Amino acid sequence: MEWTVSQADPAGFENVTLKGDCDLYAAPAFASAMKAKIAGGAKRLRLDLSQVEYMDSTGVGALIRILQSARASGAELRFRGVRGSPRKVLRMSNILPLMREEDAQ
Amino acid sequence: MKRFIVRKLIVDDRNELFDAQGMKYVEFPSDFSKIREYTAFVLADCPEAFREGNLLEQQLSEIIKNGVKHGNRCDPAKRLRIWYDLRKRARFIVEDEGEGFRELDDWNEFFRKRQKALFDEDFDTFLAMASYRGPRSDEADGGNSLIAALEYWNGGMIYNGARNKVGVVRWFAGGSEG
Repeated sequence: MEWTVSQADPAGFENVTLKGDCDLYAAPAFASAMKAKIAGGAKRLRLDLSQVEYMDSTGVGALIRILQSARASGAELRFRGVRGSPRKVLRMSNILPLMREEDAQ
Repeated sequence: MKRFIVRKLIVDDRNELFDAQGMKYVEFPSDFSKIREYTAFVLADCPEAFREGNLLEQQLSEIIKNGVKHGNRCDPAKRLRIWYDLRKRARFIVEDEGEGFRELDDWNEFFRKRQKALFDEDFDTFLAMASYRGPRSDEADGGNSLIAALEYWNGGMIYNGARNKVGVVRWFAGGSEG
């Protein structure tokens, strides 16, 4: 899985676009990168998952850790493009209620 | 009025989910880097209707990962044994050579508290305990594979007495003649 971070939009949100499989091999590095970003002062992040086709429990755990870091730091975290199988996995893990979605289905 | 209902992991050595008669069999070494490869091998001839996108692949890979990582602790000398049957439903038995899931009762209690926080809409508590952390959990562990599994395996998810073997089944609307 790859991810790119764009410059903040007028509302101050940095867009993080994920692409590929958010799985047991890739998700830990992503969680570490986002936690470091939040620890480094990022206050508004938008995670775009529209190009993630596969997410396993490690991927779900990565999102949980990022949510926990954001909550602890007072950072605002929003999500976009949560769909397909990743959405089903997040729903079965009961994590969707914790995620503020801009395009909730 | 809302009712608080919570699932739990069950131990039952004599459960019919451990009857491997007629099932296909394969075994793998405990190579963490090949978990998704093992999963793809088992599902090579899976009916398309059972895959539900990649949901079946994802759920089976969790069981394989648990056996390889938590059961066999990635010891390449230890084998992971898988029995599978993809006729009419998706059914698997996965056995590792580890010491068994000793924290199963603790996990059930963790899950009850977690779901109670969700039921009460106490989202701060829920977020704090959203992932299970056992004595050997590491940073890479999602800590939630069993939570989704309890919902996904709608025909049952049963551990044996030694807690190193799990039997699961998922039924699908309409079934398959596959």
